[in-house]
Amino acid sequence: MQIRIRNGKDFYAGLFFFLIGIVTVLEARGYSVGTARNMGPGYFPILLGYLLLMIGGGTAVRGLWLKGEGIKISSMRPLLMVSSAVLSFALLLKPCGLILALLALVFLACLGSREFRIRYAVVLSFALAAIATALFVYTLGLPLHLFWSE
Amino acid sequence: MDIFNNMLLGFTVVLLPWNLFYCLFGAVIGTLIGVLPGIGPAATIALLLPFTFNVPPVTALIMLAGIYYGSQYGGSTTSILVNIPGESSSVVTCLDGYAMARQGRAGPALAIAAMGSFFAGCVATVIICLLAPTLAELALKFGPAEYFSMMVLGLVGATMLARGSLLKAIAMILLGLVLGLVGTDVNSGTRRFAFGISTLFDGIDFVVVVMGLFGLAEIISSLDHEMKKEIMTTKVSRLIPTRADLKASWKAVIRGTALGSMLGILPGGGALLSSFASYALEKRIASDPSRFGKGAIEGVAGPESANNAGAQTSFIPMLTLGIPTNGVMALMLGAMMIHGIAPGPRVMVEKPDLFWGLIVSMWVGNLMLVILNLPLIGIWVRLLTVPYRFLYPAIVMFCCIGVYSLNNSIIDLAMATGFGIVGYLLLKLDCEPAPLVLGFILGPMMETYFRRALVFSRGDFTVFFTQPISLTMLLTAAILLLMNIAPTVRRKREEVFQE
Repeated sequence: MQIRIRNGKDFYAGLFFFLIGIVTVLEARGYSVGTARNMGPGYFPILLGYLLLMIGGGTAVRGLWLKGEGIKISSMRPLLMVSSAVLSFALLLKPCGLILALLALVFLACLGSREFRIRYAVVLSFALAAIATALFVYTLGLPLHLFWSE
Repeated sequence: MDIFNNMLLGFTVVLLPWNLFYCLFGAVIGTLIGVLPGIGPAATIALLLPFTFNVPPVTALIMLAGIYYGSQYGGSTTSILVNIPGESSSVVTCLDGYAMARQGRAGPALAIAAMGSFFAGCVATVIICLLAPTLAELALKFGPAEYFSMMVLGLVGATMLARGSLLKAIAMILLGLVLGLVGTDVNSGTRRFAFGISTLFDGIDFVVVVMGLFGLAEIISSLDHEMKKEIMTTKVSRLIPTRADLKASWKAVIRGTALGSMLGILPGGGALLSSFASYALEKRIASDPSRFGKGAIEGVAGPESANNAGAQTSFIPMLTLGIPTNGVMALMLGAMMIHGIAPGPRVMVEKPDLFWGLIVSMWVGNLMLVILNLPLIGIWVRLLTVPYRFLYPAIVMFCCIGVYSLNNSIIDLAMATGFGIVGYLLLKLDCEPAPLVLGFILGPMMETYFRRALVFSRGDFTVFFTQPISLTMLLTAAILLLMNIAPTVRRKREEVFQE
């Protein structure tokens, strides 16, 4: 018999919680559990893990039973672009300095919009990089390198 | 005259120029993000949190609180003038507010919303002053079992408001609780869920979690259904309401204030629930319910008063018991802890300047908002014409610098991205982030009280049921859960969300 997922939202959410529950229980089993009277560091997490596992499992099973909506993601573009904007900032900040990291951050973030136009993205990158530098480095005095350091 | 002295103490704190400035700053930022759809108070508070580290805790809290109630004022402006709710708690204001605007009565609608909000703000401040000391005193007598049960009740209450199914909301809480346990266990020194990553030895930073879940995830999800909105701005000619308007709305203002003040205190309550409940009430008791949706001024006056009252009284459980009732309060609690203040009933005794300063600042902030907002409405409306594609890169930038400035850590940025991605996917699965954040904040405290209660009872689990206060709270939680499962309430809840 083929299993059909009738409610994608419930099924995948349930599956996610179920897996997290399993990881929690497996990891927490490595800590000492103790007794109710003298609880070890593993006691409470294991309890939570089992609860999560049961509720997650229940939700997933319900997703097979009850009808409902599937997941609708119209475009992966915002997700990919915004997360790569943050990650590129993280990677560029130390080797290349704040200004280059900010330019990359804002430009990539702009790419996340369907109404992206290269002209405004370039202008916005420079404008925001200038504002952020003035505000955070010169006004608030955050210790950040403007350019690559030696 | 205890209250009088307390208020006086509060005023001496708030009237310091620095605190006044931050109060104004918070209120203005709150109005700004209230006007702009697509960014809520929770995300804004998370964003500005890292930049409050170098000011005293009371100043930081005054500003962050200003963002919350300021956004209630701002949200109504957008709802009335352009029929887009600037905030989720202003959704119902669209119905009659926009209808009034189309009839050329935008001015009176805005004025009534602001005046009602101000009235509600004043009343709520007094209620906090009266109720908070009593509650805190009661809470001082609580033992660990009571605390644990109270947290259970608080968390169960929080699931009532979450969209999507109850099971998923509970799962989100549990996930938050587990995430809260990451790091070194204080009792045994065991490193839990750190997986050998040294950044995790001290636990996951609260700011990292909320920036990811509220900041990045929300941006990604609003870009998802980004569309070209043509914003039609209505001209606001005269602000002063007619005598008939006032006569029709003053009762609604009082009812909304009363309802909002009550619902704000309840677990799961706050601005959102209050505004919906007030609209439903006004419609039910109106002599001619068919006027609603066609520009009935009570439909603006009631909910707008209620959401402001609810926003403010939701501070009561947070300040006196250390229990957040909604996502924004969880953030406020997190802010307190970051500033080194242990939340709970002792805050009022040990830090009276902070406690009363914060409360009085709400009243002062409301006054500022009324004075500022009505003349400045033109400016707020013009802000609406700035497209989202210019705004969100700036928000992402603030997120990044904020997260990095916490510990100068690249790993924090990577984790925030991770929370952003997971948070977005969870939103797509109808799992809201607010219950997770509540669990995350309460996780370590809950474990501590759970352990302590069982140490005292020598491992006897019935301790949670034999203490009368603890039993009452657990029973209330159980009733709330059952009510939520019951089909009638479920249908009602869906109706409310659909409206």
